[in-house]
Amino acid sequence: MKSAIYIPMAFFTSALLLMEVLVRALDVPAYLLPPPSAIFAAFDLSLLRNLAVTLTEAFIGFALAGCAAFILALLFVRSPTLERGLFPIAITLKTTPLVAIAPLLVLWLGTGWMSKIMAAALISFFPVLVNTVKGLKAADAEYFELFRTLRASAWQEFAKLRIPYCLPYLASALKISSSLAIVGAIVGEFVGATQGLGYLIMVSSAHLETAVLFSAIFAAAAAGILLFNLLGWAERRLIFWQRFDAE
Amino acid sequence: MRLAALRNMTIALPEEAPPACIEVRDLGVRFGALSVIEKLSFVIRQHEFVSLLGPSGCGKSTLLRAVSGLIAATEGEVLIGGETLGKQAPSLRLGMMFQKPLLLPWRTTLENIVLPVEIELGGQTVSHNDLARARRLLSLVRLDGFEDAYPQQLSGGMQQRVALARALMADPDVLLLDEPFGALDEMTREALNEELLQVWRSADTRLKTIVMVTHSIQEAVSMSDRIFVFAARPARLLEALEVSLPHPRAPESVEFARCLGRVRRLVREQA
Repeated sequence: MKSAIYIPMAFFTSALLLMEVLVRALDVPAYLLPPPSAIFAAFDLSLLRNLAVTLTEAFIGFALAGCAAFILALLFVRSPTLERGLFPIAITLKTTPLVAIAPLLVLWLGTGWMSKIMAAALISFFPVLVNTVKGLKAADAEYFELFRTLRASAWQEFAKLRIPYCLPYLASALKISSSLAIVGAIVGEFVGATQGLGYLIMVSSAHLETAVLFSAIFAAAAAGILLFNLLGWAERRLIFWQRFDAE
Repeated sequence: MRLAALRNMTIALPEEAPPACIEVRDLGVRFGALSVIEKLSFVIRQHEFVSLLGPSGCGKSTLLRAVSGLIAATEGEVLIGGETLGKQAPSLRLGMMFQKPLLLPWRTTLENIVLPVEIELGGQTVSHNDLARARRLLSLVRLDGFEDAYPQQLSGGMQQRVALARALMADPDVLLLDEPFGALDEMTREALNEELLQVWRSADTRLKTIVMVTHSIQEAVSMSDRIFVFAARPARLLEALEVSLPHPRAPESVEFARCLGRVRRLVREQA
Protein backbone atom coordinates (compact mmCIF):
# COMPACT_ATOMS: atom_id res chain seq x y z
CA MET A 1 0.00 0.00 0.00
CA LYS A 2 2.81 2.39 1.02
CA SER A 3 4.79 1.60 -2.13
CA ALA A 4 1.86 2.93 -4.14
CA ILE A 5 2.82 6.35 -2.80
CA TYR A 6 6.59 6.07 -2.42
CA ILE A 7 7.48 4.68 -5.84
CA PRO A 8 5.72 7.41 -7.88
CA MET A 9 7.15 10.00 -5.47
CA ALA A 10 10.67 8.71 -6.09
CA PHE A 11 10.17 8.86 -9.87
CA PHE A 12 8.70 12.35 -9.69
CA THR A 13 11.57 13.66 -7.54
CA SER A 14 14.14 12.09 -9.88
CA ALA A 15 12.45 13.73 -12.87
CA LEU A 16 12.59 17.14 -11.15
CA LEU A 17 16.27 16.65 -10.29
CA LEU A 18 17.06 15.61 -13.85
CA MET A 19 15.19 18.65 -15.17
CA GLU A 20 17.13 20.93 -12.79
CA VAL A 21 20.46 19.54 -13.97
CA LEU A 22 19.57 19.61 -17.68
CA VAL A 23 18.12 23.13 -17.62
CA ARG A 24 21.25 24.46 -15.91
CA ALA A 25 23.70 22.43 -18.03
CA LEU A 26 22.09 23.39 -21.34
CA ASP A 27 21.53 26.99 -20.23
CA VAL A 28 17.85 27.05 -21.24
CA PRO A 29 16.45 30.60 -21.01
CA ALA A 30 14.31 31.02 -17.87
CA TYR A 31 11.34 32.43 -19.84
CA LEU A 32 11.12 29.15 -21.78
CA LEU A 33 11.74 26.60 -19.06
CA PRO A 34 12.75 27.70 -15.57
CA PRO A 35 14.60 25.20 -13.37
CA PRO A 36 12.40 23.51 -10.74
CA SER A 37 14.18 25.41 -7.99
CA ALA A 38 12.97 28.70 -9.53
CA ILE A 39 9.43 27.29 -9.81
CA PHE A 40 9.40 26.34 -6.13
CA ALA A 41 10.77 29.77 -5.28
CA ALA A 42 7.62 31.18 -6.94
CA PHE A 43 5.41 29.32 -4.42
CA ASP A 44 4.37 32.24 -2.25
CA LEU A 45 1.42 33.60 -0.35
CA SER A 46 -0.17 35.19 -3.40
CA LEU A 47 -0.12 31.82 -5.18
CA LEU A 48 -1.81 30.28 -2.18
CA ARG A 49 -4.43 33.03 -2.15
CA ASN A 50 -5.15 32.56 -5.85
CA LEU A 51 -5.34 28.81 -5.34
CA ALA A 52 -7.83 29.31 -2.52
CA VAL A 53 -9.98 31.51 -4.76
CA THR A 54 -10.07 28.95 -7.59
CA LEU A 55 -10.67 26.06 -5.21
CA THR A 56 -13.57 27.87 -3.57
CA GLU A 57 -15.19 28.75 -6.91
CA ALA A 58 -14.70 25.22 -8.16
CA PHE A 59 -16.03 23.65 -5.00
CA ILE A 60 -19.18 25.80 -4.79
CA GLY A 61 -19.93 25.19 -8.48
CA PHE A 62 -19.27 21.49 -8.05
CA ALA A 63 -21.51 21.21 -4.97
CA LEU A 64 -24.37 23.12 -6.63
CA ALA A 65 -24.11 21.05 -9.80
CA GLY A 66 -23.90 17.83 -7.81
CA CYS A 67 -27.10 18.57 -5.86
CA ALA A 68 -28.99 19.86 -8.92
CA ALA A 69 -27.94 16.89 -11.07
CA PHE A 70 -28.91 14.41 -8.36
CA ILE A 71 -32.37 15.94 -7.95
CA LEU A 72 -32.90 16.09 -11.71
CA ALA A 73 -31.82 12.45 -12.00
CA LEU A 74 -34.42 11.46 -9.39
CA LEU A 75 -37.09 13.32 -11.38
CA PHE A 76 -35.92 11.68 -14.61
CA VAL A 77 -36.31 8.22 -13.13
CA ARG A 78 -39.74 9.11 -11.74
CA SER A 79 -40.94 10.60 -15.03
CA PRO A 80 -39.74 9.06 -18.31
CA THR A 81 -41.49 11.87 -20.19
CA LEU A 82 -39.34 14.43 -18.42
CA GLU A 83 -36.26 12.38 -19.19
CA ARG A 84 -37.11 12.07 -22.88
CA GLY A 85 -37.82 15.80 -23.07
CA LEU A 86 -34.85 17.17 -21.16
CA PHE A 87 -32.10 14.65 -21.81
CA PRO A 88 -31.39 15.84 -25.39
CA ILE A 89 -31.13 19.40 -24.10
CA ALA A 90 -28.68 18.29 -21.44
CA ILE A 91 -26.61 16.49 -24.08
CA THR A 92 -26.58 19.57 -26.32
CA LEU A 93 -25.38 21.63 -23.39
CA LYS A 94 -22.73 19.04 -22.69
CA THR A 95 -21.34 18.92 -26.22
CA THR A 96 -21.05 22.72 -26.43
CA PRO A 97 -17.48 23.51 -25.31
CA LEU A 98 -17.36 25.45 -22.07
CA VAL A 99 -14.77 27.81 -23.62
CA ALA A 100 -17.51 28.90 -26.03
CA ILE A 101 -20.01 29.58 -23.27
CA ALA A 102 -17.63 31.17 -20.74
CA PRO A 103 -17.59 34.65 -22.33
CA LEU A 104 -21.38 34.69 -22.20
CA LEU A 105 -21.29 33.79 -18.51
CA VAL A 106 -18.90 36.66 -17.79
CA LEU A 107 -21.10 38.99 -19.85
CA TRP A 108 -24.19 38.01 -17.83
CA LEU A 109 -22.73 37.49 -14.38
CA GLY A 110 -19.74 39.86 -14.40
CA THR A 111 -16.08 39.22 -13.73
CA GLY A 112 -16.69 38.28 -10.08
CA TRP A 113 -17.29 34.93 -8.40
CA MET A 114 -20.63 34.08 -9.97
CA SER A 115 -19.41 33.55 -13.53
CA LYS A 116 -16.68 31.12 -12.34
CA ILE A 117 -19.04 29.23 -10.08
CA MET A 118 -21.45 28.86 -12.99
CA ALA A 119 -18.68 27.72 -15.34
CA ALA A 120 -17.55 25.12 -12.79
CA ALA A 121 -21.15 24.03 -12.22
CA LEU A 122 -21.92 23.72 -15.94
CA ILE A 123 -18.97 21.48 -16.64
CA SER A 124 -19.44 19.23 -13.60
CA PHE A 125 -23.21 18.87 -13.95
CA PHE A 126 -23.41 16.39 -16.78
CA PRO A 127 -21.33 13.44 -15.52
CA VAL A 128 -23.29 13.45 -12.27
CA LEU A 129 -26.62 13.53 -14.09
CA VAL A 130 -25.79 10.69 -16.47
CA ASN A 131 -24.23 8.43 -13.87
CA THR A 132 -26.95 9.00 -11.29
CA VAL A 133 -29.70 8.17 -13.78
CA LYS A 134 -27.77 5.04 -14.72
CA GLY A 135 -27.20 4.09 -11.07
CA LEU A 136 -30.83 4.61 -10.07
CA LYS A 137 -31.86 2.08 -12.73
CA ALA A 138 -28.94 -0.28 -12.25
CA ALA A 139 -30.40 -2.79 -9.78
CA ASP A 140 -31.40 -6.16 -11.28
CA ALA A 141 -35.01 -6.45 -12.39
CA GLU A 142 -35.45 -9.14 -9.73
CA TYR A 143 -34.68 -6.62 -6.98
CA PHE A 144 -37.63 -4.57 -8.19
CA GLU A 145 -39.76 -7.72 -8.26
CA LEU A 146 -38.75 -8.42 -4.68
CA PHE A 147 -39.80 -4.93 -3.63
CA ARG A 148 -43.09 -5.32 -5.51
CA THR A 149 -43.87 -8.61 -3.79
CA LEU A 150 -43.18 -6.85 -0.48
CA ARG A 151 -45.64 -4.16 -1.62
CA ALA A 152 -43.15 -1.33 -1.21
CA SER A 153 -44.25 2.17 -2.16
CA ALA A 154 -42.42 4.10 -4.87
CA TRP A 155 -40.81 6.20 -2.15
CA GLN A 156 -39.61 3.11 -0.27
CA GLU A 157 -38.22 1.70 -3.48
CA PHE A 158 -36.14 4.87 -3.89
CA ALA A 159 -35.06 5.14 -0.26
CA LYS A 160 -34.25 1.49 0.36
CA LEU A 161 -33.15 0.26 -3.05
CA ARG A 162 -32.51 2.76 -5.83
CA ILE A 163 -30.61 5.45 -3.94
CA PRO A 164 -28.24 3.20 -1.96
CA TYR A 165 -27.69 1.14 -5.11
CA CYS A 166 -26.83 4.33 -7.00
CA LEU A 167 -24.23 5.63 -4.49
CA PRO A 168 -21.18 3.94 -6.08
CA TYR A 169 -22.22 5.38 -9.45
CA LEU A 170 -22.68 8.80 -7.88
CA ALA A 171 -19.28 8.61 -6.19
CA SER A 172 -17.38 7.87 -9.39
CA ALA A 173 -19.24 10.69 -11.15
CA LEU A 174 -18.36 13.11 -8.35
CA LYS A 175 -14.70 12.20 -8.63
CA ILE A 176 -14.72 12.95 -12.37
CA SER A 177 -16.67 16.16 -11.83
CA SER A 178 -14.37 17.44 -9.10
CA SER A 179 -11.44 17.63 -11.54
CA LEU A 180 -13.69 19.12 -14.21
CA ALA A 181 -14.93 21.80 -11.79
CA ILE A 182 -11.39 23.14 -11.44
CA VAL A 183 -11.07 23.26 -15.23
CA GLY A 184 -14.37 25.16 -15.33
CA ALA A 185 -13.30 27.71 -12.75
CA ILE A 186 -9.97 28.33 -14.51
CA VAL A 187 -11.65 28.71 -17.92
CA GLY A 188 -14.01 31.23 -16.32
CA GLU A 189 -11.03 33.11 -14.93
CA PHE A 190 -9.32 33.15 -18.35
CA VAL A 191 -12.19 35.13 -19.81
CA GLY A 192 -12.29 37.84 -17.18
CA ALA A 193 -11.13 37.89 -13.59
CA THR A 194 -9.04 39.81 -11.10
CA GLN A 195 -7.84 36.82 -9.08
CA GLY A 196 -7.54 33.05 -9.16
CA LEU A 197 -5.17 30.57 -10.80
CA GLY A 198 -6.59 31.26 -14.27
CA TYR A 199 -5.94 34.95 -13.81
CA LEU A 200 -2.41 34.24 -12.54
CA ILE A 201 -1.71 32.02 -15.55
CA MET A 202 -2.90 34.70 -18.01
CA VAL A 203 -0.95 37.53 -16.36
CA SER A 204 2.29 35.59 -15.79
CA SER A 205 2.34 34.28 -19.36
CA ALA A 206 1.79 37.80 -20.71
CA HIS A 207 4.72 39.05 -18.60
CA LEU A 208 6.89 36.02 -19.47
CA GLU A 209 7.11 35.18 -15.77
CA THR A 210 7.36 31.51 -16.66
CA ALA A 211 8.34 30.35 -13.17
CA VAL A 212 5.11 31.86 -11.78
CA LEU A 213 3.18 30.32 -14.68
CA PHE A 214 4.58 26.90 -13.81
CA SER A 215 3.83 27.36 -10.13
CA ALA A 216 0.20 28.12 -11.04
CA ILE A 217 0.03 25.04 -13.26
CA PHE A 218 1.39 22.88 -10.43
CA ALA A 219 -1.09 24.42 -8.02
CA ALA A 220 -3.97 23.68 -10.38
CA ALA A 221 -2.86 20.07 -10.69
CA ALA A 222 -2.45 19.79 -6.93
CA ALA A 223 -5.96 21.20 -6.41
CA GLY A 224 -7.41 18.58 -8.73
CA ILE A 225 -5.56 15.76 -7.01
CA LEU A 226 -6.61 17.08 -3.60
CA LEU A 227 -10.33 17.17 -4.46
CA PHE A 228 -10.19 13.79 -6.19
CA ASN A 229 -8.54 12.10 -3.23
CA LEU A 230 -10.77 13.79 -0.70
CA LEU A 231 -13.78 12.36 -2.53
CA GLY A 232 -12.09 8.98 -2.87
CA TRP A 233 -11.55 8.94 0.89
CA ALA A 234 -15.19 9.87 1.58
CA GLU A 235 -16.30 7.21 -0.91
CA ARG A 236 -14.36 4.45 0.82
CA ARG A 237 -15.84 5.42 4.19
CA LEU A 238 -19.45 5.85 3.10
CA ILE A 239 -19.79 3.10 0.51
CA PHE A 240 -18.20 0.47 2.70
CA TRP A 241 -19.93 -2.46 1.02
CA GLN A 242 -17.93 -1.98 -2.19
CA ARG A 243 -14.80 -3.04 -0.35
CA PHE A 244 -16.22 -6.56 -0.19
CA ASP A 245 -16.53 -6.84 -3.94
CA ALA A 246 -13.31 -8.62 -4.77
CA GLU A 247 -14.28 -9.08 -8.40
CA MET B 1 -51.99 -38.75 -22.72
CA ARG B 2 -55.65 -39.60 -22.08
CA LEU B 3 -54.70 -41.97 -19.30
CA ALA B 4 -52.60 -39.32 -17.68
CA ALA B 5 -55.51 -36.90 -17.67
CA LEU B 6 -57.71 -39.51 -16.04
CA ARG B 7 -55.20 -40.17 -13.28
CA ASN B 8 -54.85 -36.45 -12.79
CA MET B 9 -58.57 -36.11 -12.08
CA THR B 10 -58.65 -38.81 -9.46
CA ILE B 11 -55.72 -37.25 -7.68
CA ALA B 12 -57.19 -33.76 -7.65
CA LEU B 13 -60.18 -34.91 -5.60
CA PRO B 14 -59.11 -36.44 -2.31
CA GLU B 15 -61.93 -37.42 0.07
CA GLU B 16 -61.49 -34.71 2.69
CA ALA B 17 -59.92 -31.92 0.75
CA PRO B 18 -58.53 -29.00 2.76
CA PRO B 19 -59.60 -25.57 1.45
CA ALA B 20 -58.13 -24.39 -1.83
CA CYS B 21 -55.22 -22.05 -1.44
CA ILE B 22 -54.31 -21.26 -5.03
CA GLU B 23 -56.76 -21.66 -7.86
CA VAL B 24 -55.72 -21.06 -11.42
CA ARG B 25 -58.63 -20.88 -13.87
CA ASP B 26 -58.09 -20.88 -17.62
CA LEU B 27 -54.99 -18.78 -17.13
CA GLY B 28 -53.41 -17.29 -20.21
CA VAL B 29 -50.32 -15.09 -20.29
CA ARG B 30 -48.90 -13.61 -23.45
CA PHE B 31 -46.07 -11.17 -24.05
CA GLY B 32 -47.03 -9.47 -27.29
CA ALA B 33 -47.37 -12.21 -29.90
CA LEU B 34 -45.68 -14.79 -27.69
CA SER B 35 -48.07 -16.99 -25.78
CA VAL B 36 -46.29 -18.33 -22.70
CA ILE B 37 -49.24 -19.86 -20.86
CA GLU B 38 -52.51 -21.01 -22.41
CA LYS B 39 -55.73 -22.24 -20.81
CA LEU B 40 -54.04 -23.50 -17.67
CA SER B 41 -56.15 -24.65 -14.72
CA PHE B 42 -55.27 -26.30 -11.43
CA VAL B 43 -55.95 -26.14 -7.71
CA ILE B 44 -53.38 -26.19 -4.94
CA ARG B 45 -54.79 -26.87 -1.48
CA GLN B 46 -53.61 -25.66 1.88
CA HIS B 47 -50.80 -27.63 3.51
CA GLU B 48 -49.62 -28.81 0.12
CA PHE B 49 -46.07 -28.71 -1.15
CA VAL B 50 -46.20 -28.59 -4.94
CA SER B 51 -43.24 -28.60 -7.31
CA LEU B 52 -43.47 -27.24 -10.81
CA LEU B 53 -41.21 -29.28 -13.06
CA GLY B 54 -40.50 -28.80 -16.72
CA PRO B 55 -37.89 -27.95 -19.34
CA SER B 56 -36.31 -24.52 -19.11
CA GLY B 57 -38.26 -21.82 -20.86
CA CYS B 58 -41.52 -23.71 -20.48
CA GLY B 59 -43.15 -20.86 -18.57
CA LYS B 60 -42.84 -22.16 -15.00
CA SER B 61 -41.31 -18.95 -13.75
CA THR B 62 -43.91 -16.93 -15.61
CA LEU B 63 -46.62 -19.02 -13.96
CA LEU B 64 -45.13 -18.36 -10.54
CA ARG B 65 -45.02 -14.64 -11.28
CA ALA B 66 -48.64 -14.70 -12.41
CA VAL B 67 -49.60 -16.43 -9.15
CA SER B 68 -47.65 -13.87 -7.12
CA GLY B 69 -49.29 -10.99 -8.97
CA LEU B 70 -46.04 -9.72 -10.49
CA ILE B 71 -47.43 -10.42 -13.95
CA ALA B 72 -51.05 -9.75 -14.86
CA ALA B 73 -53.06 -12.56 -16.41
CA THR B 74 -53.96 -11.91 -20.04
CA GLU B 75 -56.86 -14.35 -19.78
CA GLY B 76 -58.51 -16.23 -16.97
CA GLU B 77 -57.81 -15.57 -13.34
CA VAL B 78 -55.79 -16.54 -10.31
CA LEU B 79 -57.52 -16.91 -6.94
CA ILE B 80 -55.59 -16.79 -3.71
CA GLY B 81 -57.63 -18.08 -0.79
CA GLY B 82 -60.76 -17.61 -2.90
CA GLU B 83 -60.02 -13.97 -3.77
CA THR B 84 -59.26 -12.96 -7.34
CA LEU B 85 -55.80 -11.52 -7.67
CA GLY B 86 -56.02 -7.89 -8.68
CA LYS B 87 -55.09 -4.50 -7.32
CA GLN B 88 -56.08 -5.44 -3.79
CA ALA B 89 -53.68 -7.53 -1.75
CA PRO B 90 -55.25 -10.93 -0.97
CA SER B 91 -55.86 -11.66 2.71
CA LEU B 92 -53.62 -14.70 2.47
CA ARG B 93 -50.07 -13.45 2.54
CA LEU B 94 -47.70 -14.38 -0.27
CA GLY B 95 -43.95 -14.64 0.10
CA MET B 96 -41.56 -15.06 -2.76
CA MET B 97 -38.02 -16.31 -3.01
CA PHE B 98 -35.91 -16.01 -6.12
CA GLN B 99 -33.01 -17.91 -7.62
CA LYS B 100 -30.64 -15.15 -6.58
CA PRO B 101 -30.55 -14.24 -2.89
CA LEU B 102 -31.16 -10.54 -3.74
CA LEU B 103 -29.77 -9.30 -0.45
CA LEU B 104 -29.01 -5.62 -0.07
CA PRO B 105 -25.21 -5.34 0.24
CA TRP B 106 -25.32 -2.32 2.54
CA ARG B 107 -27.41 -4.15 5.11
CA THR B 108 -26.27 -6.70 7.66
CA THR B 109 -27.91 -10.12 7.80
CA LEU B 110 -30.36 -9.00 10.47
CA GLU B 111 -31.16 -5.74 8.66
CA ASN B 112 -31.81 -7.71 5.48
CA ILE B 113 -34.17 -10.05 7.29
CA VAL B 114 -36.28 -7.27 8.79
CA LEU B 115 -36.72 -5.53 5.42
CA PRO B 116 -40.28 -6.85 4.82
CA VAL B 117 -41.43 -5.60 8.22
CA GLU B 118 -39.72 -2.26 7.69
CA ILE B 119 -41.53 -1.83 4.39
CA GLU B 120 -44.85 -2.82 5.89
CA LEU B 121 -44.46 -0.37 8.77
CA GLY B 122 -43.68 2.56 6.49
CA GLY B 123 -41.87 5.17 8.57
CA GLN B 124 -42.16 3.49 11.97
CA THR B 125 -39.17 1.86 13.58
CA VAL B 126 -39.05 -1.92 13.80
CA SER B 127 -40.22 -3.13 17.21
CA HIS B 128 -38.24 -5.29 19.65
CA ASN B 129 -40.72 -8.10 19.05
CA ASP B 130 -40.00 -8.07 15.34
CA LEU B 131 -36.26 -7.98 15.95
CA ALA B 132 -36.60 -10.93 18.31
CA ARG B 133 -38.58 -12.78 15.64
CA ALA B 134 -35.90 -11.97 13.06
CA ARG B 135 -33.29 -13.47 15.40
CA ARG B 136 -35.41 -16.61 15.84
CA LEU B 137 -35.68 -16.97 12.07
CA LEU B 138 -31.93 -16.49 11.87
CA SER B 139 -31.38 -19.50 14.09
CA LEU B 140 -34.12 -21.41 12.28
CA VAL B 141 -31.98 -21.16 9.14
CA ARG B 142 -28.87 -21.95 11.22
CA LEU B 143 -27.11 -18.63 10.94
CA ASP B 144 -26.59 -17.91 14.63
CA GLY B 145 -23.69 -15.56 15.12
CA PHE B 146 -23.94 -14.06 11.63
CA GLU B 147 -26.49 -11.36 12.33
CA ASP B 148 -23.98 -8.53 11.88
CA ALA B 149 -22.23 -10.01 8.85
CA TYR B 150 -22.69 -8.39 5.46
CA PRO B 151 -23.98 -10.51 2.55
CA GLN B 152 -20.64 -10.42 0.73
CA GLN B 153 -19.01 -12.07 3.72
CA LEU B 154 -21.37 -15.06 3.48
CA SER B 155 -21.21 -18.05 1.16
CA GLY B 156 -23.83 -18.55 -1.54
CA GLY B 157 -25.71 -21.10 0.57
CA MET B 158 -25.71 -18.82 3.59
CA GLN B 159 -26.96 -15.92 1.48
CA GLN B 160 -29.84 -18.04 0.26
CA ARG B 161 -30.63 -18.97 3.87
CA VAL B 162 -30.83 -15.27 4.71
CA ALA B 163 -33.18 -14.84 1.75
CA LEU B 164 -35.35 -17.66 3.12
CA ALA B 165 -35.43 -16.05 6.55
CA ARG B 166 -36.37 -12.74 4.95
CA ALA B 167 -39.20 -14.39 3.00
CA LEU B 168 -40.45 -15.94 6.26
CA MET B 169 -40.19 -12.59 8.07
CA ALA B 170 -43.16 -11.37 6.03
CA ASP B 171 -45.04 -14.23 7.72
CA PRO B 172 -46.48 -15.65 4.51
CA ASP B 173 -49.24 -18.24 4.28
CA VAL B 174 -47.98 -19.20 0.87
CA LEU B 175 -44.35 -19.35 -0.17
CA LEU B 176 -43.53 -19.18 -3.87
CA LEU B 177 -40.03 -20.34 -4.71
CA ASP B 178 -38.43 -19.76 -8.10
CA GLU B 179 -35.61 -22.30 -8.32
CA PRO B 180 -34.45 -21.13 -4.91
CA PHE B 181 -31.42 -23.39 -4.64
CA GLY B 182 -30.70 -23.83 -8.35
CA ALA B 183 -27.42 -21.92 -8.23
CA LEU B 184 -26.02 -23.90 -5.31
CA ASP B 185 -23.90 -27.03 -5.20
CA GLU B 186 -25.55 -30.39 -4.61
CA MET B 187 -24.62 -30.71 -0.93
CA THR B 188 -25.69 -27.23 0.08
CA ARG B 189 -28.86 -27.71 -1.89
CA GLU B 190 -29.79 -30.90 -0.05
CA ALA B 191 -29.11 -29.30 3.32
CA LEU B 192 -31.27 -26.32 2.41
CA ASN B 193 -34.06 -28.56 1.11
CA GLU B 194 -34.11 -30.31 4.45
CA GLU B 195 -34.29 -26.98 6.26
CA LEU B 196 -37.08 -25.78 4.05
CA LEU B 197 -39.13 -28.88 4.89
CA GLN B 198 -38.48 -28.32 8.58
CA VAL B 199 -39.59 -24.70 8.34
CA TRP B 200 -42.70 -25.78 6.45
CA ARG B 201 -43.64 -28.30 9.15
CA SER B 202 -42.60 -26.14 12.11
CA ALA B 203 -45.35 -24.48 14.12
CA ASP B 204 -43.34 -21.25 14.49
CA THR B 205 -44.55 -19.89 11.19
CA ARG B 206 -47.98 -19.79 9.68
CA LEU B 207 -46.60 -21.04 6.42
CA LYS B 208 -48.95 -23.66 5.01
CA THR B 209 -48.44 -23.94 1.31
CA ILE B 210 -45.29 -24.05 -0.79
CA VAL B 211 -45.04 -23.88 -4.56
CA MET B 212 -41.55 -24.43 -5.91
CA VAL B 213 -40.24 -24.17 -9.44
CA THR B 214 -37.39 -26.57 -10.00
CA HIS B 215 -35.26 -28.21 -12.68
CA SER B 216 -34.24 -31.07 -10.49
CA ILE B 217 -36.36 -34.23 -10.60
CA GLN B 218 -34.60 -35.53 -7.50
CA GLU B 219 -35.43 -32.36 -5.61
CA ALA B 220 -39.06 -32.45 -6.72
CA VAL B 221 -39.49 -36.07 -5.64
CA SER B 222 -37.78 -35.66 -2.30
CA MET B 223 -39.77 -32.58 -1.32
CA SER B 224 -43.25 -32.45 -2.78
CA ASP B 225 -46.70 -33.83 -2.14
CA ARG B 226 -47.48 -33.33 -5.77
CA ILE B 227 -45.37 -32.68 -8.84
CA PHE B 228 -46.83 -30.74 -11.74
CA VAL B 229 -45.00 -31.75 -14.90
CA PHE B 230 -45.21 -29.13 -17.62
CA ALA B 231 -44.75 -29.31 -21.37
CA ALA B 232 -42.95 -26.55 -23.21
CA ARG B 233 -44.40 -23.34 -24.51
CA PRO B 234 -47.18 -22.54 -24.24
CA ALA B 235 -47.08 -24.12 -20.80
CA ARG B 236 -49.43 -27.10 -20.50
CA LEU B 237 -49.89 -29.25 -17.44
CA LEU B 238 -48.89 -32.72 -18.61
CA GLU B 239 -49.61 -34.45 -15.37
CA ALA B 240 -50.01 -33.85 -11.66
CA LEU B 241 -48.22 -36.71 -9.94
CA GLU B 242 -48.86 -37.54 -6.33
CA VAL B 243 -45.84 -38.51 -4.23
CA SER B 244 -47.29 -40.36 -1.26
CA LEU B 245 -44.00 -41.25 0.40
CA PRO B 246 -43.63 -40.29 4.07
CA HIS B 247 -41.00 -37.78 5.19
CA PRO B 248 -38.07 -38.01 5.64
CA ARG B 249 -37.70 -39.64 2.28
CA ALA B 250 -34.83 -42.01 1.73
CA PRO B 251 -33.44 -41.55 -1.80
CA GLU B 252 -32.02 -45.11 -1.66
CA SER B 253 -35.44 -46.72 -1.03
CA VAL B 254 -37.20 -48.70 -3.76
CA GLU B 255 -40.34 -46.55 -3.59
CA PHE B 256 -38.31 -43.40 -4.05
CA ALA B 257 -36.51 -44.89 -7.04
CA ARG B 258 -39.81 -46.01 -8.56
CA CYS B 259 -41.28 -42.54 -8.17
CA LEU B 260 -38.15 -40.95 -9.58
CA GLY B 261 -38.37 -43.27 -12.57
CA ARG B 262 -41.98 -42.36 -13.20
CA VAL B 263 -41.28 -38.64 -13.23
CA ARG B 264 -38.17 -39.10 -15.34
CA ARG B 265 -40.12 -41.09 -17.96
CA LEU B 266 -42.76 -38.38 -18.11
CA VAL B 267 -40.19 -35.65 -18.55
CA ARG B 268 -38.37 -37.66 -21.21
CA GLU B 269 -41.54 -38.44 -23.16
CA GLN B 270 -42.15 -34.81 -23.97
CA ALA B 271 -38.53 -33.96 -24.72
